Amino acid sequence: MTPFVKTLFCQVILLVMLGSFQPGAFASVDDAQSFALQAAEPYVKQGFQVREDYWGGDLGSGEKKAVRQQLFKGNEYWFWLGTEVERAKISVHIYDSDGKLAEEPDGWEKGHFAAAHVIPKATGSYFIIVSVEESPEERTHWALVYGFR
Amino acid sequence: MLTFTKHLQLSAIVVTGLALCAHGAQAPQRIDIKQLSKTVEDVVVPLPNEIFGALNKLGAVNWKEHVRTDKGASFTERPRIALLLGTVIADGFVAVQAEDAPAVKEIGQRVLTLAKGIGVGNSITPHSKAIIEAADKRNWESVRQELDRTQNSVQQAMNEVHDEKLSQLVSLGGWLRGTEVLTSVVTKHFSADGAELLHQPDLLSYFQTRLQAMPEFNLPIIHEIQEALVDVKPLIDVGNARISPASVKKISEITTRLGNGIVTRD
Repeated sequence: MTPFVKTLFCQVILLVMLGSFQPGAFASVDDAQSFALQAAEPYVKQGFQVREDYWGGDLGSGEKKAVRQQLFKGNEYWFWLGTEVERAKISVHIYDSDGKLAEEPDGWEKGHFAAAHVIPKATGSYFIIVSVEESPEERTHWALVYGFR
Repeated sequence: MLTFTKHLQLSAIVVTGLALCAHGAQAPQRIDIKQLSKTVEDVVVPLPNEIFGALNKLGAVNWKEHVRTDKGASFTERPRIALLLGTVIADGFVAVQAEDAPAVKEIGQRVLTLAKGIGVGNSITPHSKAIIEAADKRNWESVRQELDRTQNSVQQAMNEVHDEKLSQLVSLGGWLRGTEVLTSVVTKHFSADGAELLHQPDLLSYFQTRLQAMPEFNLPIIHEIQEALVDVKPLIDVGNARISPASVKKISEITTRLGNGIVTRD
């Protein structure tokens, strides 16, 4: 084995080991989106159209992010939040433009999935607040998708 | 090995189970919106069918009279093609509402031609094909989904080559055409709830900000849209007041004029 091949071999082994011991190392917002879509899946059968577009990013434990969204009275919306970090605890809540909680009481959160439901009483801007409550990772990817019917 | 469908079914069961047994933590009843200003993400522009869906619930709409399939002019300027592409995708949603299969198929083909015109044809070809196939089967849900995917793929392809501004023009074109159809419907059969669907001041501000950041697109139609949005803003930014029939009519006139400007040569 030439020195070059040896070095290359060692580097490949090192990369594989890194990948095995740190599953989050190569994770991305796309992975988080897959989980958000997984949370949305049962609702599609109930007639919700899930948008292809989504929001995403990363947050530290205890950090929040607000997403502004135009909602229309007459429609019903679900927002689904996901992360690939299994032991993370995340949440999503919906407020109207005055900062008043606007969601229905059937929202839920369980580990790396969370969801919030709103039937807007008025057409206008709403704030969707996503939060990483706890996470073993320094930064936790998140993705938020929504559906309407 | 599990098949993809089985995997999806299992996922659905798991997530439904989670939803049944999970309870959300108590969220504060009120928050200070002003404190959020630094952490607010950009809006996701609603698709026309999101508005059309809400409009449909207010009463029967004769969608057939709003279907538009004329090919219009051809452009070489990329911003003009982007605007037109957005309006054509919106036309696709109108045709789906009208369940007009020939129109949907024509629009699917037109979308592909326009996407090629701005260099993102490759990412659209499978969607265009899927739109046409779903229209043949009159599977309207699939057509809707493919139109959403089309817009998303176009915009992702543009963003990947740092053409974010063109991507925003696609959204703007769709929003203008959606608003044109909405105001046309509400003008003919006015209702306060129908007019309320126009209450989108933040979205309008979003487009204004984006257009201001496009000085390089020095085209008459872009200037015309910028000026028109200034006129529309006070008509829809009414706080808790109602949007009047006169305002709806005015917005209808403005968006119809802009719509004609987008599809015809200067």
